[in-house]
Amino acid sequence: MWYDMSLFSVLIGTLAFAVLAPVLGCLLAGLDRKISARMQGRVGPPLLQPYYDVRKLLEKDNVSVNSTEGTYVTCALVFTLIAGGIFFSGGNLLMSVFVVTLSGLFFIVAAYSTRSPYAEIGAMRETLQVMAYEPMVLFMAVAFFMAAGTFDVAGAFALTAPVVTVIWPVLLGFLFVLTIKLRKSPFDLSYSHHAHQEIVKGITTEMSGRTLAKVEVMHWCENILFLGWTGLFFIWGTPASVLVAVIVAAVVYFLEIWIDNNFARVKWQALLKSAWVVALVAGGVNIAVLAYAPYLM
Amino acid sequence: MALLGFLILFPLVVAGVLLAVRDNRVRNAVVVAAALVIGIASVWLVVSYLGAPWIPFDFHSPVVDYACMVVSVLVAAAILFYGIRHKNAAACALAAVQVAGSLVFEFAFAHGLPVAQGLYLDSLSLLMAFIIGVVGSGICVYALGYMEDFQAHEPEGAKDRRPVFFALMFAFLSAMFLIVFSNNMVWLFTGWEVTTVCSFLLIGYTRTEEAMRNAFRQIVMNLVGGIAFLGALYVCAIQLGTLSLLEFLQIGVQNPALVALPVTALALAGLTKAAQMPFHTWLLGAMVAPTPTSALLHSSTMVKAGVFLLVKLSPVMYAGSFAPQGGLLASVPAIMTVLVGGITFALCSFMAISQTNAKRVLAYSTIANLGLIVACAGVGTPEAVWAAAFLILFHAIAKSLLFLCVGTAEHHIGSRDIEDMDLLFERMPRLSRFMMLGILCMFIAPFGMLVAKWATLVSFAETGQVALIVILAFGSAATFMFWAKWLGKLSGIAAARENVERDVHASEWAAVMVMAVLVILCCAGLPIVSWLSVEPYVFSVYGTLGQDISTSNLWIASILSIALAVVLFAGLGRTKARKVDVYLAGVSRDNAERTFQNALSGTSTASARNWYLEDVFGERRIAPIGTACCSVIIIVAFAAAAVSLPGLF
Amino acid sequence: MTYATKSPWVIHYDGSSCNGCDIEVLAALCPGYDVERFGIINTGNPKHADIFLVTGSVNEQNIKVVQEIYNQMVEPKVVVACGICACSGGIFHDCYNVIGGVDQAIPVDVYAPGCAVRPEAIIDAVVQALGILEEKSKALQAQRKGA
Repeated sequence: MWYDMSLFSVLIGTLAFAVLAPVLGCLLAGLDRKISARMQGRVGPPLLQPYYDVRKLLEKDNVSVNSTEGTYVTCALVFTLIAGGIFFSGGNLLMSVFVVTLSGLFFIVAAYSTRSPYAEIGAMRETLQVMAYEPMVLFMAVAFFMAAGTFDVAGAFALTAPVVTVIWPVLLGFLFVLTIKLRKSPFDLSYSHHAHQEIVKGITTEMSGRTLAKVEVMHWCENILFLGWTGLFFIWGTPASVLVAVIVAAVVYFLEIWIDNNFARVKWQALLKSAWVVALVAGGVNIAVLAYAPYLM
Repeated sequence: MALLGFLILFPLVVAGVLLAVRDNRVRNAVVVAAALVIGIASVWLVVSYLGAPWIPFDFHSPVVDYACMVVSVLVAAAILFYGIRHKNAAACALAAVQVAGSLVFEFAFAHGLPVAQGLYLDSLSLLMAFIIGVVGSGICVYALGYMEDFQAHEPEGAKDRRPVFFALMFAFLSAMFLIVFSNNMVWLFTGWEVTTVCSFLLIGYTRTEEAMRNAFRQIVMNLVGGIAFLGALYVCAIQLGTLSLLEFLQIGVQNPALVALPVTALALAGLTKAAQMPFHTWLLGAMVAPTPTSALLHSSTMVKAGVFLLVKLSPVMYAGSFAPQGGLLASVPAIMTVLVGGITFALCSFMAISQTNAKRVLAYSTIANLGLIVACAGVGTPEAVWAAAFLILFHAIAKSLLFLCVGTAEHHIGSRDIEDMDLLFERMPRLSRFMMLGILCMFIAPFGMLVAKWATLVSFAETGQVALIVILAFGSAATFMFWAKWLGKLSGIAAARENVERDVHASEWAAVMVMAVLVILCCAGLPIVSWLSVEPYVFSVYGTLGQDISTSNLWIASILSIALAVVLFAGLGRTKARKVDVYLAGVSRDNAERTFQNALSGTSTASARNWYLEDVFGERRIAPIGTACCSVIIIVAFAAAAVSLPGLF
Repeated sequence: MTYATKSPWVIHYDGSSCNGCDIEVLAALCPGYDVERFGIINTGNPKHADIFLVTGSVNEQNIKVVQEIYNQMVEPKVVVACGICACSGGIFHDCYNVIGGVDQAIPVDVYAPGCAVRPEAIIDAVVQALGILEEKSKALQAQRKGA
């Protein structure tokens, strides 16, 4: 049965992602801190610092403010892994987007369940962030479909030219909301790694020890997945394109670090307005062109 | 066919019996038994005709024709009676137009056009029958416990009008069965009008000034739709010479330009019933009614009749938009339906963000989801119809689950405000989990509603409906916001509150459980439902299969939803972690109660309200835009469709 | 092997002080000293912190705040008293509402005197605290295995 095979590949993909993404994501996070420090004229921590942080968090005492928070965060982590598995096994791009949203929801509910004033502020802001970036992410998936003729990520390898050639405005729009998804300033409303601009610690205020470790690992995996989405724009029918995609993803991440270090956090009104306007212009116009161009020629 | 007749007539008989029953215990027994019988009969019907294509039944009876006419006149008379009593000129005028119109129609045209095959069924009707029979009668059972509490809250010496209430609920079910099984459009119209007047009486049940005002708003709007329906019947009878739904659809698919006007008129009737903008206010007003009424109107009946009709019409609209010979005229109904549905979806999702009243949030979400179904029906491709059928199914069960939960919560915490549902996770542990299940099913993958939305997005992308893609993207984002923050409120845990759900009526639990089990079964069995019920309908209408989402992805969704249900009902609340206080920045007074020492050494409570973003998504800002846009669209569509009337120009 | 010493996250609280030590603590986090080299992060949340840096003395008004922050930190944790006021009350020791050093409120692991305490002294104190943190971490792990 063919669909059994497909389920099987998602399962294998998820397992592989669960092993590889934390490793890559951890190194990426270490590199991020290193580069950020250099941009600020500092030496910065060792490359493996994020790994040490997580190991330390796992050594901490097992405490929680309620009996459900840990379960919600575990769900969030698992669904991130599944979303990554779906994407990197060549599965459906929209499914990957939806499962990441589910993971985000569990993260939000975990913070809400604590009913702590600071965590709730973080949760509310995170909800708003999801609302801000969701349209552009959907446009990204739809534009990929219109350019590639399929929602299946694997379908990109059958193309004669990468989709970015026809949906570059969508790529620009997507890069804009990528700043929100990577939790980079100026759009890191719900929580950021920088202590200086936090209302206590945003959505993670009540998370400690192993729960916080799960959040960190989830964030690494998310980053890898989102960079995967970015790289997808540059994939076409040759294996060498993977290299191009990786280089592009690296450049994009460097750009995000640069943005992170150069902008102060904005208010939620500016976040929502700018993200939606960008989505409407970049996404809407690009999709309209894709839909109507065949009739005009 | 006997089963069809039974499903239509039995609830009517039960309604008659209930009207006479004054004793509570007898009523409980009758309602439970009748609900069981209707539920089993509809499931039996579904099982025995599973996957059936269009099956017409030869049934033609002048007696039924006359009965329908009498019912129509009675309906109009009832409206006139109340209209005069409450001095509502608009309702009286519309009712008068309608009664005159239907009498003239009956004697001048209808008798010359007998419909040999009065009844039919197909897989969509079966799906609807399942929803009406199981969800609808479940709500009736729920109403037993609810109305007992409701009556207890009434002032001393208030008249017990529950017999009327339950009779109306069952009459409603009967009318709905008539709508989904009638091939004879006159009979269909009768069922249509009966639902209108039943909901009028149910909304006005409390007879307060507000209730009557909202009831009249409902009746006026739906009479407009009813008259449009009647107009469509006239055109069918005079121009096309048939009153059979099947023949009408067949003519329409072959020559969409010819039927542009009746299809537009029927679509308008569907839009009013489905509470699309600018008619959405009647559904918001309907919230004054007791909660079972809201549940019935919103989930399984009334509004579903509207979208049912539109989905039935969608092959014609599809033919209209893609017909080479039809031109612009043929695509008028499709354009109108798509635009009104799409605009309603986006704007009502936005407005739901600004609402704190749980029932109003549910109402806006209902209108928005119906908008999506309407837009799917307007697009009319096999894929869009596949999505629409799933939206109808999942919306019906998840929304009724939510309404029943909100109703029960309201009676136990004394409020239907979302902010007051703070800490419900401990105050009503079982109920809040059911409510969370309902909310999850409404908006997030891998549950049914989102799978259907996903299919919708794919079908819009495939047909290049740019406007709809944009609307869907922004609308879905807003949907996330208002559900997620409600879910968050429910999930809060603090201070080990007292459990207040111990005295919830058994009948309420039974109904809530039925809905919850249905939600889980339908989400888990999504690929099977598609294979057995929705695909056969799409195939019977279009001759091709329209499925946007591969079966393997459906199975992934199914597996994930089972996992989530397990987490929700068995996984939460188990942890070895030691419990600690939350951070309150400073000195806590009573950490569990979230009180802390303030700057003046007094005690303050840390409390957070959700964001409602009134300045961005407030009703005052958004509703006028939607009302204006949709009104203009409908008027322009009618003006354009009127061109098709021979002899007008 | 414990990772507690490789990623010490710090929370800083300023009691009743002249703010001199307060500023020196922040100076230690600036590029000139760059304590992030050692994985040290300044966090505002006791639930994330391993090391509690207190500057200034404890008084009647803030003693409960110091205690609450300490109680909300997750084990293993250490306390560093930065500056002479935090160690003993310093020049404020006989003020009418000053109780004394931080050890009057919570157990202190490392004392770093100075007025104001220099960043080098703070870093040195934190490094000493890491040794104690490692001991505590090992004890906790042993206890967990035993349980």
